[in-house]
Amino acid sequence: MSDIERDELIERVAREVRRPVAVGPGLDARIMAAVRAERSRATDPAARRAWRWLVRPRTVALSPLAGLAMAAGVAGVMVLLGRGDSRPASPAATTAVLVPAAADVRPAANTPAREVQFVLVAPRARQVAVVGDFNDWDPARTPMRVSASGVWSARLPLALGRHEYAFVVDGAGWTLDPSAPSAPADDFGKPNSVITVGESAP
Amino acid sequence: MIRQFVVTLAGVALTAAAAGAQDPRLASRLPDADTRAAVEAVVESARRAGLPTEPLVDKALEGASKRAPSERIVAAVRNLAAHLEVARRALGPESSEAEVIAGASALHAGYTVEALSALRARRGRRPLTVALAVLADLVARGVPRDTATAAVLALTERGVRDAELVAFQSGVERDITQGAPPGESATVRSVIESDAAGGAVGVTQGNTPGSGTNRPTAPKRRP
Repeated sequence: MSDIERDELIERVAREVRRPVAVGPGLDARIMAAVRAERSRATDPAARRAWRWLVRPRTVALSPLAGLAMAAGVAGVMVLLGRGDSRPASPAATTAVLVPAAADVRPAANTPAREVQFVLVAPRARQVAVVGDFNDWDPARTPMRVSASGVWSARLPLALGRHEYAFVVDGAGWTLDPSAPSAPADDFGKPNSVITVGESAP
Repeated sequence: MIRQFVVTLAGVALTAAAAGAQDPRLASRLPDADTRAAVEAVVESARRAGLPTEPLVDKALEGASKRAPSERIVAAVRNLAAHLEVARRALGPESSEAEVIAGASALHAGYTVEALSALRARRGRRPLTVALAVLADLVARGVPRDTATAAVLALTERGVRDAELVAFQSGVERDITQGAPPGESATVRSVIESDAAGGAVGVTQGNTPGSGTNRPTAPKRRP
């Protein structure tokens, strides 16, 4: 083969290689989907694949008899769980705010005082009392009243100054007021909340 | 003979007075006789010294309500009695019972005798009860004692009223709730309240009583 013939052959092959190839519609999408699937298999942990398998919707065929049996089983489990459900002494949610009342009051001793409302949100509590240095720390002295939504409240006239207090939930749970500061010194291992009662704002 | 009679009579009178002084609340709430006797002895001693006794009874009742051990109840009552005595000395013999009680709370919260004396000196004859309560509360909120002392002293020097002190304390509480550093909030708010009261005297964090005369810089923002 002469040099000229060799050059013509190379040129023909090159033209053949340069010719555009016709591809079917959607080829790009198919290739990219395959690439994504490959990468997903490589990087997805087994737990995630298992989760996807679990949450993928499926159609389940169930006979009426099997459905009734399943419902009875679920009801039985709920009854068993209900027997063991003893309400905890402390409330599930505990939030308290102190709301100074608008009107001033003066107790019998003629000491300057203001009426203060104690509020505790404890929907699961059976009884709540506020105790403090204003009622001899006696839970029987100031039981709180509950509303339908589980908000316990009590109003008390407090002398001006600083008072320590706490809530007693279900007779035993010593609960602090999360919206008030705690007393820095704790003599008995159960800290108290603190409220400062001042005069009405001018 | 007459001397013996007088001594015996005095003893009987003292015993009767002590028996009469026994608080029925202690009898009903402190079942242990030894604990009750120890607490009543402290209460009686305080009464003779002219100190307020109600906080001592109250402390014992708090311990009983919390089902604290006897020795802890007695120790707490004795400790409070000592604080009441020191508070009265620091605040002066003319101090009211409420002031002495509030002073004892402040001492219990870690304030010094000097801080109480400085507060009395600047406040003059005006009541100190709320100022001392605010002092104790600021520490409870996390304000450093020196900063709280300087802030309250600065406000007192400007003649702020009790209601304004409580407003100052409420402002600090709000700031802390919103994430402000307690010390910086107390410092800046004391300047604001002082300005509102007609002066420009402020405090610098960490000042000891009586030395707070610098205007503070604005608090740094948290990142």
